[in-house]
Amino acid sequence: MNERSVVGKPLPRVDGKAKLTGRAKFTTDVVLPGMLHAKLLRSPLPHAKIRSIDTSKAEKLPGVMAVITGKDTWGIRYGFVDTPNYPAEERPIAEDKVRFIGETVAAVAAIDPDTAEDALDLIEVDYDPLPPIFDPEEAMKDGAPQIHGEITRNTSCAWEDWGVARKSHSYTPVNNVAARVLVTYGDVEKGFAEADYIREDRSRSPGTSHMAMEPHTMVASWDPFEQKLDVWMNHMAWELKRYWLHKTLDIPLPKIRIHKTYIGGAFGGKAPCFDYEVICAFLSRKLCKPIKIELTREEVFSSCRNSHRFDISIKTGVKKDGTIVAQHCNVIVDAGAYKCSAPVAMFLSHGMCDCCLDRKNVRHEGVAVYTNKNFNFARRGHGAPQMRLAADGQYDQICEDLGLDPVEFLTKNLRKKGDVIPNGDRLDSYGLPEAIKKSAEAIKWKEKRGKQRDKNRGVGIGINGMFSGSGYWPFACTAIIRLNHDGTITLIEGDCEFGQGPDTTYSQIAAEALGLTIEDVTLVSSDSELCPMNYSNFLSGGMFVGGGAVYNAAIDLREKLLKVASEVMRAKPEDIELKDKKAFLKSNPKRAYTFTEIQRYHIQKHLGDPLFGIGYKKAVPEIEFYPSLSKGTGRFTDAYGFTASTAEVEVDRETGRIRVLKIVVAEDSGYEINTAVCRGQLVSQAVQGMSDALFEEIMDDEGRVLNPNLVDYEIPRAFDVPEIEIIDCSDFEPKGPWGAKEIGECARAAVISAVVNAVYDATGVRVMRIPVTPERMFNALKAQEKK
Amino acid sequence: MDSSKKTINVKVNGEPYEVSIKPKMTLLQLLRNELGLTGTKQACMDNSCGACTVIVNKMAVKACSVLAMQVNGKEVTTVEGLASKDGKLSILQEAFLEHSAFQCGFCSPGKLMSSTAMLEELENPTEEDIRRDMEGNLCRCTGYVQYLEAIKEVVRQRKEGSK
Amino acid sequence: MKDFEYFSASSLQEACSLISQYKDVGKVLAGGQSLITLLRQKLISPTCLIDIKGLKELDFIEFDKKSGLRIGALTTHRAIEKSPLIQEKYNVLSEMEKSVASVQTRNWGTIGGNLCSADPIGDPAPSLIALGAKIKLVSAKGERAVALEEFFTDYFTTIIEPDEILAEIQLPPPAANTAVEYMKFATIEAGIKIVSTSVAVTVEAGSDVCKDAKIVMSAVAPIPLITKKAAEMLKGKKLTDDLIEEAAKMAASETDPTTDVHASAEYRKEIVKVLVKRAIKKAFEKAKKA
Ligand SMILES: Cc1cc2nc3c(=O)[nH]c(=O)nc-3n(C[C@H](O)[C@H](O)[C@H](O)COP(=O)(O)OP(=O)(O)OC[C@H]3O[C@@H](n4cnc5c(N)ncnc54)[C@H](O)[C@@H]3O)c2cc1C
Repeated sequence: MNERSVVGKPLPRVDGKAKLTGRAKFTTDVVLPGMLHAKLLRSPLPHAKIRSIDTSKAEKLPGVMAVITGKDTWGIRYGFVDTPNYPAEERPIAEDKVRFIGETVAAVAAIDPDTAEDALDLIEVDYDPLPPIFDPEEAMKDGAPQIHGEITRNTSCAWEDWGVARKSHSYTPVNNVAARVLVTYGDVEKGFAEADYIREDRSRSPGTSHMAMEPHTMVASWDPFEQKLDVWMNHMAWELKRYWLHKTLDIPLPKIRIHKTYIGGAFGGKAPCFDYEVICAFLSRKLCKPIKIELTREEVFSSCRNSHRFDISIKTGVKKDGTIVAQHCNVIVDAGAYKCSAPVAMFLSHGMCDCCLDRKNVRHEGVAVYTNKNFNFARRGHGAPQMRLAADGQYDQICEDLGLDPVEFLTKNLRKKGDVIPNGDRLDSYGLPEAIKKSAEAIKWKEKRGKQRDKNRGVGIGINGMFSGSGYWPFACTAIIRLNHDGTITLIEGDCEFGQGPDTTYSQIAAEALGLTIEDVTLVSSDSELCPMNYSNFLSGGMFVGGGAVYNAAIDLREKLLKVASEVMRAKPEDIELKDKKAFLKSNPKRAYTFTEIQRYHIQKHLGDPLFGIGYKKAVPEIEFYPSLSKGTGRFTDAYGFTASTAEVEVDRETGRIRVLKIVVAEDSGYEINTAVCRGQLVSQAVQGMSDALFEEIMDDEGRVLNPNLVDYEIPRAFDVPEIEIIDCSDFEPKGPWGAKEIGECARAAVISAVVNAVYDATGVRVMRIPVTPERMFNALKAQEKK
Repeated sequence: MDSSKKTINVKVNGEPYEVSIKPKMTLLQLLRNELGLTGTKQACMDNSCGACTVIVNKMAVKACSVLAMQVNGKEVTTVEGLASKDGKLSILQEAFLEHSAFQCGFCSPGKLMSSTAMLEELENPTEEDIRRDMEGNLCRCTGYVQYLEAIKEVVRQRKEGSK
Repeated sequence: MKDFEYFSASSLQEACSLISQYKDVGKVLAGGQSLITLLRQKLISPTCLIDIKGLKELDFIEFDKKSGLRIGALTTHRAIEKSPLIQEKYNVLSEMEKSVASVQTRNWGTIGGNLCSADPIGDPAPSLIALGAKIKLVSAKGERAVALEEFFTDYFTTIIEPDEILAEIQLPPPAANTAVEYMKFATIEAGIKIVSTSVAVTVEAGSDVCKDAKIVMSAVAPIPLITKKAAEMLKGKKLTDDLIEEAAKMAASETDPTTDVHASAEYRKEIVKVLVKRAIKKAFEKAKKA
């Protein structure tokens, strides 16, 4: 198994032909006989009591089949974080109160979308407005309007199935605080006392949209005879979605089938449970008819999850030579109306960042605050981009203040391969030092840094680290490989394909282990009824956990094949090689048995056993359950991906407009299973990171989103893409499949910091509020001139 | 027949259709809902993303913002019409596959149609031509690079072929 | 979207009679690139559409040395962009068209529809005004010609009567020693314009003296804005950098922009200063060579 022939290559993707000919089925393409369409009525107010809802006129409109309100779904609760300390508080339809503009207050099912929409106009809601609160810092003050009363554990609690059995209790948020986190290690006071230089800075990253191309859509079909729900939906892990549907609607788990569809992009934004999903299934069961809900782009912006706004203050103490001795971070997360993943986000802003540099004494405090706005979820990096901007921006400034070089500064403070970091994670692979070095070389750091301000040009650097899955929930996967009679295999695993490429890379992993080609692999994936357990596709665990399970299954089958072959051939397993659906002697390839023959032999000799491979993998084997979110203790992950990114920009000082000339992404993703897929992931993040740094922000006025469409929420188009160089700095990860770990999320954060730091190098002005729009840059330059 | 409906004749991917539709039906609805050609996608509903791009009489247009009535008597090509019926991909589709020029695949049909129309119009497009003609197609996954490379590869092959 | 009745006009005459018949409840449909989104968002709900897109008689680009250029209202943006005639004689129009929306919208959307939409951020109007455009409006009762600069009255409103159709745009022959320059400013390349401007400069033959100038802008007022005082400052003068800078500042003071998600009013004014300065300089350089 030394020479690799299937992995490590840019093989064409197995989903390509379907996707390039229009035959790939997405949820939006699903049409069932007799299917009805549902639309949701959204709250126009950010905070109000619902006095009454009159649906009678809407019900009378011809073509309307059902109108439901919070009365119908009263008491149903779900949430991404659902623990004894933080029971879930999300609900499919507002009950007696609305908490943000866009919250669902009623739903209509009708014969077509236009009729459903017309019916919405006929629903009369009597609201009693309450004072709203929009800014997280204001919301924490005494006397601010309180968004939630007592939160009681109700229909759903993930903990009771997956966590340590512990009694859950109700709680009432005080001063709108949804959750807190405090992580400490070392002696921060002592660290600062030893510092030669201390800086304190603030930064803000705004809420942004994942902007997946396929708007959120679901089709649900209830079979009243079998009491069974068939579902096609936008998701990132059907296992989670099925679990929530089971809990919220009290349908037995095996009576819910989530069918495979391709997902039109996700980036984190389709993972949690959504109101429309519960409603869609609820309506289907109520009417015994298939229901389709397709959200509009405006609803995606205003009522589906966006990324969290973070306000961070960071204080760092260093020695004269740049050695970091202490750091204190204060993180305020704007949760929005429901907490969703906010408790996780502020923990991860520590958890993901601690693997990069040795900061010695650390205190990381976070608070997630309820506000009367749409609420939020992970977007590609989940807390890391916001934290890295704060940290890498400050390091850049410390270097400026002390006359140090940022590349040398980062290099000086690096952790080391093999280090065990404070929470117990060990860095078995650690390509960050190499990535920093290579990314700096590629941008011509030495020649350019600090030397081009006269040309309004500058270069900057940013870094990041990212989990390869974590201990959240079970976070485990299983894969099954069937050896077919002709020697090909059928790979059965659960991961869903939302663009990241598992259908292809997992097929490669299995083929490599068995000496097959990718064409020899038939794939069954992403179907809750056909596939084994699959919890992997978040926190970047896809390859490491899902791919790891596939690898283990393939190795299992390989070992079985070798064992049987050794019986047949009367040779030692280690003297046998598998290739071209045959087992042969390494010393004499002519002595060969086909997989078909081996299987026939095995079935006859071993009571009909047809040779299956079974493999499973858990993200962090050593931990039993979750790491503590509130204290950051316990293992986080088994392997980290790393990125260093550099960028070169040019600033038009007259207008403030910034043009990115080049982005370099040097990445340690472990071994690259499919180099073209990996490159795609990194280019993607280079462009998204640039866009975060310069363009993207969900803007609101009193809780109303002002740019809920693709005209006003601008993302890069073909012309805006600069030169992008990708450098593979992969360090072999011994626990990963073929040495692979993480690639989907890490780079975005590093690119943001690189661009923002490059802007400083070009201008001498630091803007720590992204996006650095032309106007923000212009104002900062003007302020500089006044000084 | 519903009296508010009108009849149109349109050729889609070479096949003639006669359909009776409400005037408010868009070309996108005609393709997806009436003809079952769901390869053409809807992603923004306000004429801004290009996922629904199809070719009408050799021109790339956004099907969400053209009334079906307006293609009466015209020829429409959708992503389903690019490959040959017996399963051979077009040169451009082949290049997209080779260059990993797609990820989630939701915007790919639109991109294929825009670039197909461009390559029919321009014999030898420059980098600038290509980028400008692709401005109407938003993509969130790919960062555009690999799909621009795929198009350039086709241009290069064509140049070599004509030598 | 609400249901509506649909008529497809087969001649301009038929279109005029249909629209006079349905003027209270109907709307003209050209390429629908703006209209269909408005219908979908229910911002307007006419009960009848009169489709004129198929009218060949309003789809033309014609040039005559004496009378100049005529562009039919149903000419698509793309046709203007790609017209060799326009590229040669009114190059600014084809350059400007490259920045209008996207290829797909330019392929189906019409110049007439663009002007009738009267979007304050529309690109063609400033260039056409800078070139001295007139338009022809026709109705069942007759026709009238108006200067394009008189056409717009407020955000999304024009002087067009409900029974009138914009038939064509007329431009005088290219003036000697004159150049017109279009410039836009947006956050991303194909983004919503924060400001765009078209500047026409005529020089005294063989000198640095400006004989005539016109500065027109979009996105800084409810309608395309002609900054007359700024242009006046240039006329009869030698165009020095200082003078150009002063004129650009004057132009900014004549604007009345608003704040939206793309930029604040104050910032728009700042951008006007830069953009107008750059456009004057460029037009001036080109005019000297013209
Ligand atoms: C996403 C997007 C981006 C855009 N970007 C730009 C841009 O960058 N710059 C820019 O300038 N424009 C831009 N536009 C506007 C675009 O140029 C116009 O939508 C298009 O030109 C309108 O032409 P149409 O033929 O489609 O008009 P329609 O949509 O058919 O009509 C528009 C309006 O004009 C009326 N009308 C049309 N033709 C006539 C006529 N001959 N006589 C009387 N009334 C008539 C209609 O009744 C309607 O009210 C953009 C539009 C979209 C959707």
